[in-house]
Amino acid sequence: MFLKAISGLLTYPQGQLISALPEIALLIENEPDLSAEHKNALMALVNELSQDDLLSSQETYVEVFDRGRATSLHLFEHVHGESRDRGMAMIDLRNTYEKAGLVLHANELPDYLPVVLEYLSTRSENEIRELLGDCAHILRKVGEALLDRGSHYSAVFATLLALVDEPGLVPTARRRPTAEEKSIDEEWAEEPVEFGPAAKPACNRAQAQSSVIRFVDRSH
Amino acid sequence: MSHFLDRLTFFTRDKEAFADGHGVVTDEDRTWEDGYRKRWAHDKIVRSTHGTNCTGSCSWKIYVKGGVVTWETQQTDYPRTRPDMPNHEPRGCSRGASYSWYLYSANRVKYPMVRGRLVRLWREARKTLGPVEAWASIVEDPQRAKSYKLVRGMGGFVRSTWGEINEIIAAANIYTIKKYGPDRVIGFSPIPAMSMVSYAAGSRYLSLIGGVCMSFYDWYCDLPPASPQVWGEQTDVPESADWYNSTFIIAWGSNVPQTRTPDAHFFTEVRYKGAKIVAVTPDYAEVSKLADLWLHPKQGTDSALAMAMGHVVLREFHLEQKSAYFEDYVRRFTDMPMLVKLVKRGEHLVADRFVRASDFSESLGHANNPDWKTLAYDEISGNVVAPNGSIGFRWNQKEGEDQGKWNTEEKDGKSGDSVRLSLSLIDSRDDIAPVAFPYFGGIVNERFQHSDMDTDVLVRNVAVKKLQLAEGETLVATVFDLLCANYGLDRGLGGANVAKSFDDDVPYTPKWQEGITGVKADDVITVARQFADNADKTNGKSMVIIGAAMNHWYHSDMNYRGVINLLMMCGCVGQSGGGWAHYVGQEKLRPQTGWLPLAFALDWHRPPRQQNSTSFFYAHTDQWRYEKLAVEEIISPLADAREFPGSLVDFNVRSERMGWLPSAPQLQTNPIQVCKDAAAAGLDPKEYAAKALKDGTLRMSCEDPDNPANFPRNLFVWRSNLLGSSGKGHEYFLKHLLGTKHGVQGKDLGEDGGQKPQEVVWHDDAPEGKLDLLVTLDFRMSTTCLYSDIVLPTATWYEKNDLNTSDMHPFIHPLSSAIDPVWEARSDWDIYKGIARTFSEVVKGHLGVEKELVLTPLLHDTPAELAQATTVKEWKKGECDLVPGKTAPGMAVAERDYPNTYNRFTALGPLMAKVGNGGKGIAWNTQSEVENLAKLNYTVVEEGPTKGLPKIETDVDACEVILMLAPETNGEVAVKAWQALSKITGRDHGHLAKPKEDEKIRFRDIQAQPRKIISSPTWSGIESEHVSYNSGYTNVHELIPWRTLTGRQQFYQDHKWMLGFGEGMCVYRPPVDLKTIVPVQGNKSNGNPEVVLNFITPHQKWGIHSTYTDNLLMLTLSRGGPIVWLSETDAREAGIEDNDWIELYNVNGAITARAVVSQRVNAGMCMMYHAQEKIVNVPGSEVTGQRGGIHNSVTRAVVKPTHMIGGYAQQSYGFNYYGTIGTNRDEFVIVRKMNKVDWLDEPAPSGAGGEV
Repeated sequence: MFLKAISGLLTYPQGQLISALPEIALLIENEPDLSAEHKNALMALVNELSQDDLLSSQETYVEVFDRGRATSLHLFEHVHGESRDRGMAMIDLRNTYEKAGLVLHANELPDYLPVVLEYLSTRSENEIRELLGDCAHILRKVGEALLDRGSHYSAVFATLLALVDEPGLVPTARRRPTAEEKSIDEEWAEEPVEFGPAAKPACNRAQAQSSVIRFVDRSH
Repeated sequence: MSHFLDRLTFFTRDKEAFADGHGVVTDEDRTWEDGYRKRWAHDKIVRSTHGTNCTGSCSWKIYVKGGVVTWETQQTDYPRTRPDMPNHEPRGCSRGASYSWYLYSANRVKYPMVRGRLVRLWREARKTLGPVEAWASIVEDPQRAKSYKLVRGMGGFVRSTWGEINEIIAAANIYTIKKYGPDRVIGFSPIPAMSMVSYAAGSRYLSLIGGVCMSFYDWYCDLPPASPQVWGEQTDVPESADWYNSTFIIAWGSNVPQTRTPDAHFFTEVRYKGAKIVAVTPDYAEVSKLADLWLHPKQGTDSALAMAMGHVVLREFHLEQKSAYFEDYVRRFTDMPMLVKLVKRGEHLVADRFVRASDFSESLGHANNPDWKTLAYDEISGNVVAPNGSIGFRWNQKEGEDQGKWNTEEKDGKSGDSVRLSLSLIDSRDDIAPVAFPYFGGIVNERFQHSDMDTDVLVRNVAVKKLQLAEGETLVATVFDLLCANYGLDRGLGGANVAKSFDDDVPYTPKWQEGITGVKADDVITVARQFADNADKTNGKSMVIIGAAMNHWYHSDMNYRGVINLLMMCGCVGQSGGGWAHYVGQEKLRPQTGWLPLAFALDWHRPPRQQNSTSFFYAHTDQWRYEKLAVEEIISPLADAREFPGSLVDFNVRSERMGWLPSAPQLQTNPIQVCKDAAAAGLDPKEYAAKALKDGTLRMSCEDPDNPANFPRNLFVWRSNLLGSSGKGHEYFLKHLLGTKHGVQGKDLGEDGGQKPQEVVWHDDAPEGKLDLLVTLDFRMSTTCLYSDIVLPTATWYEKNDLNTSDMHPFIHPLSSAIDPVWEARSDWDIYKGIARTFSEVVKGHLGVEKELVLTPLLHDTPAELAQATTVKEWKKGECDLVPGKTAPGMAVAERDYPNTYNRFTALGPLMAKVGNGGKGIAWNTQSEVENLAKLNYTVVEEGPTKGLPKIETDVDACEVILMLAPETNGEVAVKAWQALSKITGRDHGHLAKPKEDEKIRFRDIQAQPRKIISSPTWSGIESEHVSYNSGYTNVHELIPWRTLTGRQQFYQDHKWMLGFGEGMCVYRPPVDLKTIVPVQGNKSNGNPEVVLNFITPHQKWGIHSTYTDNLLMLTLSRGGPIVWLSETDAREAGIEDNDWIELYNVNGAITARAVVSQRVNAGMCMMYHAQEKIVNVPGSEVTGQRGGIHNSVTRAVVKPTHMIGGYAQQSYGFNYYGTIGTNRDEFVIVRKMNKVDWLDEPAPSGAGGEV
């Protein structure tokens, strides 16, 4: 239920979410594994959503999540970007849902974080840990980008990391554009593909096989 | 090691060897391969293409797996053409190959979006008011209206629903129609050829409600007005395969390998067949490396080079060793033999207009259109004759009179006797006369070389004859003789300003051009000689591929006509492998006549409202208020300046009043009200309007564009990035049209005390925020989207069904829906259908069946093109009466059935069966096609006004309408169309389509494989088993006249304004001084050295215009953001190193970008690939304090009066055919290194939110 609430907090604010906020607040309050610090941060978001007028919350959400890559809620945007692997990864993820008897009926892509969280809210502790652990680096990246912008939404990401005992968000000093470009270059450098059984595996097979969906990209 | 030890003695391996031991069979674990197998597996492959503004039209395979598009690859199943012709495939480029990224990218527009401040007002108002009243309550309250206009481009969007959004749009449209008139609802969408149904969706909706569809080709400045001037046709060009038929190609300002990637292979392949390639580009562009010779004239001086080449060809192939082929060609297919009147103007004798049959007392026996029949001497009879084919023969043909005489057979148009027209009068002359020609080469422009001849008038001797005309004895000369004089050729007639030798420094010798262009005279002579020699030996297989580098100059007409003249004098136009190959922004909507009815709702209403965008934006973004180019600067030294008073915008107003250019909005009074007023006065609306215009109770909107009654109110933008790419004078758009933050640095004429226009009302306070509603449809968050009030998520090119054609190849392609649109996206067809549906409901009680008055200019290819024959007269000044369709715009009453807009949108209206269809002056009956469509698409069964009509419910239905009605895709129609033309020309053209009569191309056919189109008279080239498509082919081989005054290709332009601006003949004109530097130079210093450079904006490598410039793959391949190329010399002077952040600015605005310092670039110019999105990696400007702009932030549109001419044969208006062009190459910028790179990513102090 807690993950379902967290999933809800990350959706586009609409009447339904607003009226569920008291319930969500209660769940946060009663979540046993969560530190007071995280609870307070989450409550700040809940309060903001319930106090701000709906249109303003919506404007904020669009500004934060509907534009650009850095804070995209589509997980594969951060892993595969424009790579052709993205299509395959989405299919794998959808298959995972279907194996669990869940059919994605909303007009959304399978890697949309609220979708992933809703799915996990129906799964075992182990699976939650495994999947969230796999994408912890994405959660951290998005969370820190939100932290930089002073958005209360960063609390959601801090909470998710805490849930699976991953290191939390570190407020980053403002990145200089040059440094950012360098990291993009490194990130997108192609490694030569080697063929044949003796070749290095094209990706981290062990990891990929355990979680089916590859949240860890490329040949690191 | 010995063999014994090397080999096993007792064992054998369990692996079997093969191929002499090179291969071995193993059974090792191969599951690692599954990763690759899975990666490339798919459920289905769908054929689609990319509908961006690109002439590629490449066939792609879209791979779909599990309902997800996984990737795309190039299709390789184009039909083969014929032996010795390389295949077309594979087509495509790196840009198209990265397209699928957009589908799921963070940049995708996923939901209908609306500006938060607007929707807040809307929801509040809707609590108590109906939709239309709610909209009124917002826009009529200045405070409310300003509150959301001010923050355009500054974020603040929220998601909405289709229901709410459609209601807002419908309410805004209805309010605007009711209050101001339907012609205040404007639509801008470019290049329909690239997804014609998506274009048609919006234009059909707008045309049904009486809105205005805007042109694009002229606005982009890709439209060469020289083409209509010379040929009466706009951009008909050879397909790229025809390059392979050429034996000598000059690539002139066209960077084929970079910008025409899928076609470039023909260009490289033909070199292996022995064709010679010459590149003419100022910079060392990619095309240069494919060439045998690279000429690099100073940018903007191409016409000097072309004139010198013409000089060589005329001397060597027309005067000295005459080429029999050239002589025959120019005699039959150009205006060279036609006679021109010489008149005294001031102290000089000058060439005036063509002599007409009506100049003779009995009109030489011609009763039909004698004003429009040009004359020549017949060598056989020695008489002056009006030969077949001039435009007077085209219209109002009667049996026994002109019937069947509109052709270029060598016949006297009266008697039918054979004639042989005399090219020159030099041997039969009555006299030699000194004729004056304007000379602009001596104009001093401090950043270009001039060639001072101590005069601006060149007098040269010309052979003349004396003709007894009705007005008395008149001197006449042939175009050929005048042309030789204009090119400065000494023909032994004495006098000055002519050259015997190529080494004389006289305009226009090779020696003369050296000083202006910097190209060695010897190179000019060599290239010209070889080009002509090749054409002479091959009957015209010399070709010039030409592009934007040439066309975006203010005086682009001279660049183009210089080149076209060269091609005409070498007999290349209309010959396979030869001719003029202009590839920029052109679009060939091959099934045009099938598409027009769908797109402009001609099945319901005629005529539609169409507007030339350049004049529209010049007026409504108030760029005219900042005009610094005076008419005196561009007028001919031989013209009487008193006849051409006022400023540039004045000329546009006069043009609109005389019915030359269209108007939008048209009248200051709501055209629905005009009809009501007429009824009240008991008059026919046309009669009433003519009277009211004359007495001043009715005014045309163009006379007061800053009056709120004349504002464009609603603007739809779809398939376009108007504000992020094509908007010349970007900052003026932001300031005046949108009313938001802008970077305009200059002052308007009021503030700096400049001379104000005469015909336009001046308001001291310029309006800001004229537009009430800006709606943009896109699949990606472009710059235009960010400035919009409403953004609608549209289907990508893999999510909709549509058609796509190109001039680069003869195949028609589908766009196919590989998957359903993701998120809330819908196809353009469905979006406009939805708007139409809501409109029809909301309109009830506000508008019913309404009559309104529609104004149309005097249109090309209609009888109205014969409106104003020999002189220019203005009704406004009392010089003539106001006669609609003759001395003023045409007028028609349209009856709109507003509550049935949706029903009309989705059914093929009755006019197709009743009135028929046609194009370019030909008409045919379409009854059987309509019947077939009814069977194919089924008919409307619901009760109502459209019951029983063929349905156009889906995008596929719409495709079938186009394919069924067009001769290019329906052989039966092609045969009908050719028959219709045969009646007019008197020649049987049926053989061009007969063999294909039974061929009918349907949407599913082209999904199976691209199909070659069928030859049709809409186009001047043919598709056959023997030749590739080449323009002018049927003019030369079927003797169909060019659609010009003389019926021939015209070296000479005789309209009064053409002569007044010195362009009767092609001349060299240097770039104009736009005066954008001095007012800001030195007073915005940041301490770094500054250089002033010419601002050149070529097409780029990493995007198609702005599309793909936000695509991570393409950004990775380039430098990841906006860049500007500089020469090493200029960079050194300004202390700029490669990759430095630099700023470019002038009075129009500022740009920030990184520097690319390269040997490629010439000193004195910088290059910014145009349309790099300002949403990616653009820091703040030190000059404006705003974020750096797009390339158009430093430009402003400057219009040219000769492009406003109308009602005059080929110089009559046509949508995307003729009109003012948005030139931008003459612009200069100040360039300097930036001190501080500010990303403006802190919240703005005012709390207004970040800006774009």
